[in-house]
Amino acid sequence: MQVFELDSPERLRAHLAQSRTLYEVRADGQGGEHWQSVSVGDQTAFNPSAATASFSAKSFFFAEREVLFRFEGGQFLSALPEVAPQVLFGVHACDLQAVAYQDRFFEGDPHYQSRRAATLLVGVDCVESCDGGFCHTVSSGPDVRYGSADLVLVPRRDKHAPWLLLAASHAGVQAIEALSLTPAIDDWASERLANSQRVAQQQGEQVDIIKGVALLNAGKIEQSTWERLGLQCLGCSGCTSVCPTCSCFAPLDQPTASGGMQRERVWDSCLYQGFQKEASGHNPSATPGARVQRFWFHKFGDEINAPFEHYGCVGCGRCDRVCPGGIGVHGVMHKVVNA
Amino acid sequence: MIDLTPRKLLLLEHYADGEDARHFTFRIEQPLAADLAAIPGQFFMLVLPGFGEAPFTYVSTPDAQGVFKALVRRMGALTTALFALQADAVLGYRGPFGNGWPLFFKAKRVLAVAGGCGLAPLAGVIDAAAQQAEPTQISLVYGARKADTQVLGRERSRWRESMPLIETFDQAATGQRSGSPLQHFDEVFSAGLPDVLLCCGPEPLMLAAAEECLRRGMAAESLWLSVERRMHCGVGLCGHCYVGSSYACVDGPTYRYDQYLKLLTHCPQFPGPAAPQVC
Repeated sequence: MQVFELDSPERLRAHLAQSRTLYEVRADGQGGEHWQSVSVGDQTAFNPSAATASFSAKSFFFAEREVLFRFEGGQFLSALPEVAPQVLFGVHACDLQAVAYQDRFFEGDPHYQSRRAATLLVGVDCVESCDGGFCHTVSSGPDVRYGSADLVLVPRRDKHAPWLLLAASHAGVQAIEALSLTPAIDDWASERLANSQRVAQQQGEQVDIIKGVALLNAGKIEQSTWERLGLQCLGCSGCTSVCPTCSCFAPLDQPTASGGMQRERVWDSCLYQGFQKEASGHNPSATPGARVQRFWFHKFGDEINAPFEHYGCVGCGRCDRVCPGGIGVHGVMHKVVNA
Repeated sequence: MIDLTPRKLLLLEHYADGEDARHFTFRIEQPLAADLAAIPGQFFMLVLPGFGEAPFTYVSTPDAQGVFKALVRRMGALTTALFALQADAVLGYRGPFGNGWPLFFKAKRVLAVAGGCGLAPLAGVIDAAAQQAEPTQISLVYGARKADTQVLGRERSRWRESMPLIETFDQAATGQRSGSPLQHFDEVFSAGLPDVLLCCGPEPLMLAAAEECLRRGMAAESLWLSVERRMHCGVGLCGHCYVGSSYACVDGPTYRYDQYLKLLTHCPQFPGPAAPQVC
């Protein structure tokens, strides 16, 4: 890995935007923050705030709705997306870990991979904890994990010191070649470690998460506990929509203007009552408790997550924010531990 | 990379084969090596443009021309649309998917137990066993609600000539056997302890049959079930067919009983509303 001094992240951003569509999280003017495209000449100061945007980078690769194939004139025609080079600028470590998780899950999916291959990921270390995050507990942050980004921005505690830029992949090195940056001489590794330790301290011991996950994997959570939690699930799919690793989808056939049809896939949710219902009427996950349990096993179950070498939860805390029933990750784990 | 685009499938012919069920013959327009290597117990996705796609098992696997057979019961929009089609209709096909039956032709005694439409995935393995040079002793216990709901009539006529076949009914007419397949296990087991159980039907039937075989001395590792789950993609991505940490479309639908039970430990069977007994 090569490490450089960077006078300003805005210069890097403008450089990358010259040959790619660049996206950054920006305020939407209505109290929310969303990924938006940024033009080459944009002068807005880069904001390395640790606060997580409403949505992760998931939909850039696993689109919320996309065409899989078309049926026209008696022929089935592939509809692979043609994605122009793009860059996501300023992605937090937790969301990058989620992309790494989905890279594995969708390894054989040509639609996901065509989007992913066209994308340069520029991460940013968090030097303060966001509100409600616990990335340190699940080993997804706050410093960007090796291999999860092409470039990594490291903000400095010393406001007068230049930013650090880590070139963490071949594509990353190539992307900044023309900037002729100066190699960093500071002890950047120690500084990142100190940042990480400070954030860990801010996030605390996360006792409920640690104990709750242990109980879950030991099979020591009573069915009655899941059923009580299930009563608080409104089946709204808020958690599965904002969760950066959720990947369920449903097929949807739509007529086309030319008289044919196209098969789309749209995000689905394992919390929906009919998610598993079969044509016979049999529903293996008929109760809300069974579905809530499934969701949390998917996030924290050792057997499910072993192939990914990481939990399906990256500690972003979005489910806590969005759940109207109070059964986001902290809500669930607190109740599980105190059942 | 997975190909999510279906290939063309032609409907060649069909005939009625049980209540609301039809026996279809299809032809894959351009069969691939993987199609020709399909084994009984695997499944394919049948695509009806405009109505989605659904998983069905092979009653017979594709031959060199890509011709294969499948049993379909009319249940919803897709199957209703299928039943309205004429010969030569163009459909879509993806497959083969999942794990089929283990081919136990060294086993001396194979017990097949089926309920309702669950006979369909067993048809191929029964025929294959019968065609062995030294035929495996395969016997079949087939349960159905009543005579009208039995499927695979032509196959059963053939099998009656070549193997022990017990047909039993929930609503038996005079002279017919009655009760669940399990009620006839004394007779089946009197010929000797089977080496292998292959079972497909409603989940309560499969679990009860496996337990009964265990109780009678069979090993858990010799009991195989073909489970039903809602499969949308067939390639382990859409999430609908999960069984614990596995996906039935890639890790099943054929599971070894002890492994299936292990998967269910993290996926407990909650007491839900009873499923309609349609198969």
